Amino acid sequence: MINIEIDGKQIQTENGSTVIEAAHQAGISIPHFCYHKKLSIAANCRMCLVQVEKAPKPLPACATPVTEGMKVFTHSEQAVKAQKGVMEFLLVNHPLDCPICDQGGECMLQDMSVGYGGGQSRYHEEKRVVLAKDIGPLVSAEEMSRCINCTRCVRFGVEIAGQMELGQAFRGEHAEIVSFVSGTVDSELSGNMIDLCPVGALTSKPFRYKARSWELSRRRSVSAHDSLGSGLAVQTKNNRVLRVLPIENEDINECWLSDKDRFAYEGLNTADRLTKPMIKQDGKWQEVEWQVALEYAANGLRHIANGAGAEQIGALATANSTLEELYLLQKLMRGIGSDNVDFRLRQSDFSGDVKQQGAPWLGMSVADISRADRLLVVGSFLRKDHPLLAARIRRAARKGAQINIIHSADDDLLMHVAHKAIVAPDALVEALTQVSKALASEKQGQSASGEAGAIARSLAGGERVAVLLGNFAQQHPQAAQLQALAQQIAALSNGKFGFLGEAANSVGGYLAQAVPGTKGMNAAAMLATPRKAYVLLNVEPELDCADPQQAVAAMQAADLVIALSAYKHHATEYADVLLPIAPYTETSGTFVSTEGRVQSFKGAVKPLGETRPAWKVLRVLGNLLKVDGFGQDTSEAVRDEVLQGVDVSAKLNNAIGGVEAKAAPASSGLQRVADVPIYATDAVVRRSAPLQATADAAIPQVRMHGEELKKLGVQSGEVVKVGQGQGSVQLFAVADDKLPRGVVRVAAGHAATVALGAMFGTITVERA
Amino acid sequence: MKNLIDFFKSFLLLELLKGMSVTGKYFFARHVTVEYPEEKTPQSFRFRGLHAQRRYPNGEERCIGCKLCEAVCPALAIKIEVAERADGTRRTTQYDIDLVKCIFCGFCEESCPVDAIVETRIYEYHGENRGDLYYTKAMLLANGDKHEAQIAADRAADAKYR
Repeated sequence: MINIEIDGKQIQTENGSTVIEAAHQAGISIPHFCYHKKLSIAANCRMCLVQVEKAPKPLPACATPVTEGMKVFTHSEQAVKAQKGVMEFLLVNHPLDCPICDQGGECMLQDMSVGYGGGQSRYHEEKRVVLAKDIGPLVSAEEMSRCINCTRCVRFGVEIAGQMELGQAFRGEHAEIVSFVSGTVDSELSGNMIDLCPVGALTSKPFRYKARSWELSRRRSVSAHDSLGSGLAVQTKNNRVLRVLPIENEDINECWLSDKDRFAYEGLNTADRLTKPMIKQDGKWQEVEWQVALEYAANGLRHIANGAGAEQIGALATANSTLEELYLLQKLMRGIGSDNVDFRLRQSDFSGDVKQQGAPWLGMSVADISRADRLLVVGSFLRKDHPLLAARIRRAARKGAQINIIHSADDDLLMHVAHKAIVAPDALVEALTQVSKALASEKQGQSASGEAGAIARSLAGGERVAVLLGNFAQQHPQAAQLQALAQQIAALSNGKFGFLGEAANSVGGYLAQAVPGTKGMNAAAMLATPRKAYVLLNVEPELDCADPQQAVAAMQAADLVIALSAYKHHATEYADVLLPIAPYTETSGTFVSTEGRVQSFKGAVKPLGETRPAWKVLRVLGNLLKVDGFGQDTSEAVRDEVLQGVDVSAKLNNAIGGVEAKAAPASSGLQRVADVPIYATDAVVRRSAPLQATADAAIPQVRMHGEELKKLGVQSGEVVKVGQGQGSVQLFAVADDKLPRGVVRVAAGHAATVALGAMFGTITVERA
Repeated sequence: MKNLIDFFKSFLLLELLKGMSVTGKYFFARHVTVEYPEEKTPQSFRFRGLHAQRRYPNGEERCIGCKLCEAVCPALAIKIEVAERADGTRRTTQYDIDLVKCIFCGFCEESCPVDAIVETRIYEYHGENRGDLYYTKAMLLANGDKHEAQIAADRAADAKYR
């Protein structure tokens, strides 16, 4: 610890910290633009100049390390004169048209110029003009003349997002921020540049000219689009969500937000929002009153339960439904005598259910990931499935952690990967077995060869080891075996293992018991052996289920499909009742993040039209069906009933026993590798126009190893016909030599590939 | 004795004459009352009457939709909606002033960075129906177009005091 004095205040601070950090710690504000606590120090704006005793000239507080006995004056005559001078220079080329600037009212430069600028400009010459740039559908660079060249956006790209998509070109007065790789900024974290930009140079494109900052009311919410549980500040005006910003929490999302969380709100008020209950009569959809629709649904369920039997009713929910919704859904199903309820729609291996001892979770806290020094990530499209967790891992890698990957695709993770084993899906279990064996022999002092040996050595050499199973591993047909192997590897390397949860409530679904018991059917079984009636909660079966062909067939064969949905989607083709329910901004609820953090939120705006929160709809259905225990008045009452005051951490357990790892029978033909594209994961995201205009939302391609394509006689860039089961689609083929042989990568969950079958398994490719 | 004097006073109509003398005095004095509507009081160029929206000489509306007037309005009488116009500029799609709420404080005019919203000298307007005094953007612009010469002259006269 070092003792310094700032403005006469005695401060103890850590050795190696800078003056600005010490000052902020003590609650003394020093004006700054380019300094940001999460980014490296550039010291190029010069706004933070302070006077330091014995220094002849003012020094930048952000780049001056503290020394013992240092005396700093932030408001001395010299410091203030320097700060005023810098401010005047910054404003020389900055347009003084705050009234039309979108940043007006929340602009650092505006605030600082009130504090440190002069009342009148002495500059009457012409100002520099920087041409507008189009850097994609999310970030607006229309007003680059406003840029003060602090380079925060550039440093963010390099240090956090992992790719330098913006850079500073030219020198002196001609210096400007340009995108020089592909013309657009395609990072899945690009929205953070909007927050970082201290002026109005980079602003939100969807929000452009929509409202001023002082008109918006802020509501605290929780992200519904990935499992991290990022804190959201939902900003609303006139009962409409106009913008979403991050709420800072060092343990979860720090000060960042992924583009998915930030721009998904644009999908909330689309034209296909369902605003009135509808029932199908004589093949025609009719808008009806709630009472009519609910009674129709209840009578239908009662009829089937009494006739064909309650086990003929199945309930499917998505994992981004709230805890309360999932709990009431399973309670309703069990109340009418059916045990068929599941929320793990993309999972294909349920053999672990009986061997699993608790709710599968991250196995550690999110912050632990940053502290890990050896990581093994199994089966994860890390960057796209978990953008902010990937950023954490990226930072760990920058600090020296070794990242090891076992997966069936080799996407660029934009971080240094120490070792990787890229194998076909049916060889994934074998690859993990190899690593496990190599670790065991490593313990006995024998080094194994090959990639498995290298990964084992890397893990064995770590102090804080983390083994993480991604979405791909969870959806894998041998998921239970992968889990058992991960457990083995973690035990051998004295580390922790866990799951990178797929959706906002992947853990909450287990806590709500929205999984079948021993008598019930899981999601896959419910669709494989069609039920007579389905209750769908937030589900678009063709996009949310592991096997769209099977899902659609099951829906079409059913006598009664009750869809609780915020949107009029394809359910109109097979459903009988559509009940409009509120998306996460319009209802109160709870998400349990992948690290087991229980976060409740309130609705940010009123439900649109006659939409109602799903927990209320389910409660009324429970009452109509005369099921006991549906008298809750608030969603908080439902939550308390679920959690019963018990510590959630006691229910989280990844341990699995009695699973034997067996290599899968070698598959003949090509195997499918399917990712769910980042902007196709849930109903709201799929409807967000700006997100759908990004490069990540492009129509999926058929990616295969170049040699495999050559075997088919297809050139990269040609259209091919991909078939699975009865269905086939025509897509562009692209050679990707990083993929293992015998593998075809075609995305799932996308409208262009719904005609295909399961996410894993054989697939045929032929010339179109 | 007092009764006697009162008796004679009532005969001689002295009070009447006294009163008539006051009337007579003012009959020849300088007139103060303004005979509205035939006559009107003189107005300051700072008079704050009916609002108007101004245009630039080339016909372009001045308002840029910064919403400062909406923010400053103490009576919450202004409602603005903004969108990007086809040419990329920031423009209002809705600019309403509810004159029933307005207290004619002139803050909107003070806050306007482009002198778009102004209060004119006009005070002779009325509404016969509920909502007649809810002025929309079109009405305000029409006002401005009609009285631009006077508005410009008034701003010019006031400029040297600013």
